[in-house]
Amino acid sequence: MRFIMITVWVLVVSAGLIAHEKQVRGDEPAQSPQSGPSDFGVPVEPSMKPVLDAVLSIRDPYHVPQLPLRVDQNYGHTPRDLEPFGYVAPFKRHFMVQMEYTGPGRAIPEPEHVDTVKIGFLGPIESTVSVATGGKSHEENIGKMMLKGAQLAVEKANEQGGYHRRKVPFELIVRNDNGLWGASGNEIIHLAYKEQVWAIVGTIDGANSHIAIRVALKAEVPMVNTGDTDPTFIETNIPWVFRVISDDRRQCYLLVDYIFRKVGIQKLGIIRASNRYGRFGVRELRDGSRRLGKPVPLEMAYFVGQSDFSLELQRLKDAGVEAVAHWGDAEDGARILNQMREMGMKQPFFACDRCLGPEFAEIAGNNAEGVVCASPWNPDRDDPRLKEFRERFTKRFGVEPDTYAAHAFDGTEMLIWAIQVAGLNRAKIRDVLAYRNEPWQGVVGKTQFTAALDGREEVFLAIREGQQWRYYSREELNIPSGEIEKYTDHLHTVPSELTQVQQP
Amino acid sequence: MRSLSSSWRPLLLPAAVLFAGSWTAVASAGESAQAQSEPAPPALAFGQSVDGVSDEDLPYIYTEWENYTVEDGLPNDHLFSVRATAEAVWIGTENGLARLDKKTGAIQSWKEEDGLPWRAITSIDVDPKTGDVWLGLFGGGVARFSGGRFDHFHQLNSGLVNDVVYGVAVENNHIWAATTAGASRYDLVTGKWDIYTEKNAPMEEIWNYSVSYAPTVNKVFLAIWGSGCLEFDVATEKWKDYIDPDKEMEIDLYRDDGIIHVITTAASFADGALWVSAYFGCCRYDGRHWRGFYAHETGLPSDFTNFLKARSADEAWFCTDKGVGVVAHYPTDTYVAYYRNADNPGGVAKVFRRGRLLREVPLEISIAHNFIIGVDFDGDDVWVATAHGLSHGIGKGYYRGVKRLTQEPQSIAAASSASADSK
Repeated sequence: MRFIMITVWVLVVSAGLIAHEKQVRGDEPAQSPQSGPSDFGVPVEPSMKPVLDAVLSIRDPYHVPQLPLRVDQNYGHTPRDLEPFGYVAPFKRHFMVQMEYTGPGRAIPEPEHVDTVKIGFLGPIESTVSVATGGKSHEENIGKMMLKGAQLAVEKANEQGGYHRRKVPFELIVRNDNGLWGASGNEIIHLAYKEQVWAIVGTIDGANSHIAIRVALKAEVPMVNTGDTDPTFIETNIPWVFRVISDDRRQCYLLVDYIFRKVGIQKLGIIRASNRYGRFGVRELRDGSRRLGKPVPLEMAYFVGQSDFSLELQRLKDAGVEAVAHWGDAEDGARILNQMREMGMKQPFFACDRCLGPEFAEIAGNNAEGVVCASPWNPDRDDPRLKEFRERFTKRFGVEPDTYAAHAFDGTEMLIWAIQVAGLNRAKIRDVLAYRNEPWQGVVGKTQFTAALDGREEVFLAIREGQQWRYYSREELNIPSGEIEKYTDHLHTVPSELTQVQQP
Repeated sequence: MRSLSSSWRPLLLPAAVLFAGSWTAVASAGESAQAQSEPAPPALAFGQSVDGVSDEDLPYIYTEWENYTVEDGLPNDHLFSVRATAEAVWIGTENGLARLDKKTGAIQSWKEEDGLPWRAITSIDVDPKTGDVWLGLFGGGVARFSGGRFDHFHQLNSGLVNDVVYGVAVENNHIWAATTAGASRYDLVTGKWDIYTEKNAPMEEIWNYSVSYAPTVNKVFLAIWGSGCLEFDVATEKWKDYIDPDKEMEIDLYRDDGIIHVITTAASFADGALWVSAYFGCCRYDGRHWRGFYAHETGLPSDFTNFLKARSADEAWFCTDKGVGVVAHYPTDTYVAYYRNADNPGGVAKVFRRGRLLREVPLEISIAHNFIIGVDFDGDDVWVATAHGLSHGIGKGYYRGVKRLTQEPQSIAAASSASADSK
């Protein structure tokens, strides 16, 4: 009897592994969005069954799911030669083990009656003055696209029957996050306690995001970030926070590899916005250049919305930089580029993903040719899911979706899936996302959470060629990388019975 | 002085034997257990010397716990804060304030419909001069409860910098509030508000998370998310900052080189030592040396620490997501971890020295929940705010440090016996 059971178990597991491997290799098209039987009205992979069994069976405040924790072997896919402090092994590596929630929230019963299933949206959608973002607000164009992506996902879910268990629609509760004096904190408290949302999507600015996630931690509400690329956002150990967009750390690593290892630049100058986005965005670019023995000779900061950059650019010119990297908004980046060319500076121009916005090309015109930007995804990918999304989005809003709209759509769809599966319980919604063991097949590609609950997505370079952006993978451009070390020296700090080592 | 090897030998007692046996029985079982293939004790690596310390040198273990939930009158089981005074214990929950009368055991509670300005109370402090109770409201500003009346201070009617308040502390004639957009200080005499942000204090980030006042040195300590710990000298109004020396988020380069992480959750000063907690572990500073505490090398329940409070330079209580962790005696690297069972109200107290399990004491009644959010001391007793109820540790016969016990302490024997009976 035992032999038969073991044989059946081996066959089932093998079949699952083979199917998964085929899917990962691309031998079979990925199902939309997941395959497998489900009692929840949405597809659920077979591999999620033990997760759901463990999570959904909890009814009391004292038990926690007895599920393997993801243990990474490398943080942030960081090449060995780009790690801090050279070759000194640190005493402790953080973010290598999946965060747990051990509180009593899973025992909170579902409400008897709901008219809608509320999902909060937090983002910069209204023009204001914000201390946190360094003066006048400037991210509304991004925030509004993010909102559209979230709206589209909610509308799509409602077209398909809304929240299946109760036959009620999903509702997006929208709040502005870039008000004065840390208003994002007040807004998220309002969402958590007054509106009683089940989860929150959004946030772009790193400062507002940090304020919001501290509230999410205390109020115990899941938060899926779809637009904040600040590396430190996820480096906070908050088990309620997820991110589905590749961060500036990953983007900087690709730029470092391209600029220094591929192109062979020796002196890179940096010009960046004097706000948290600029300050933290370039950090890995600056540190990476130093760690490769080619330190950035000059890093200039400018005020957001500044029109004259001649002082900053003259300093860079005088420093003899061979290339310039910009980290800031698209409009500022374009004006800097134009002024560079006016000053006779012909250096290559590298930039962050925000410069992929339409404003950059409009303002920079022909100067944009040859500009290289990092990108958290490849929007030129030939993918029927992406094509359908683009058509649906354009039809609904009359504009093409951008990076932030696409990631918001994916993040919101993922969240809706989690609510459908977990039910109306914040802790269980968190759990099914945190313990999700298959990549999410979204419009931006595959998203798999790391131990830090950060989206592990491939990043790309976008090069302006022939008046349009063309996207290239690392492989397509044959960009070399440093060795990615697989660490095991942190495993002794992990309870072995609850861990599952993942490949980096 | 006892040699190191002989002092370590008794530590080889297997945990299972300790769990089941009485004090005398454990000692004899330990002798025979030494012949078994136990791993060698770890080499001395951190902290101060433990020369002359043996297994018999144990810290005080809280074996008597009583718990309170909504069934006992709390307005909500999800506690955020607790503050003990001579007469009462004040409890801040996610939905209401409660006062437990220590003499009668009666619990009185207030919600928004009773005048409480906002439902969630993250922090409580009591003015020793007036008895006024100050409340930090999570999204509602600050409230003063005095004479049965709530006075409400918020962004729109005062100089409070932000309504998302994580901590309050009474300092002389001032009330400090740690908010998500800086710290505020309210002068009770003049009514003046001061605001401290990156403009006038060494805050790399302004996301204040906790505030405490140390009257013995007349200093205020702020734990700041992204800015380590700040010390404010009340007399000179000068700031001093303590930040993570490696300045990297993803690693702690050296354990004892300073604050272990720049994201801190609480700071507490006692008897010349500053203790700081983080979601990455905790640390202690004696003015000259730092020492970091991680779960994997101490026996503490977890690195994820919501809050801490120091009882002395040698003892501090850590509120982790997996139980209560206590540095019971710093000089001997001795720890106690309190856990609750998932299936019943019982639990266990585990004693560690230098990461080695010395003793497990079964508890018939343990802490209310393992997710710990706040703690306060009340003489020899301790009050613990958990995510699912309030716990009262009764410190009958409490002593500081470690003691070489010649016989089974009555409280431990009683706990072991009661646990055996219940099985």
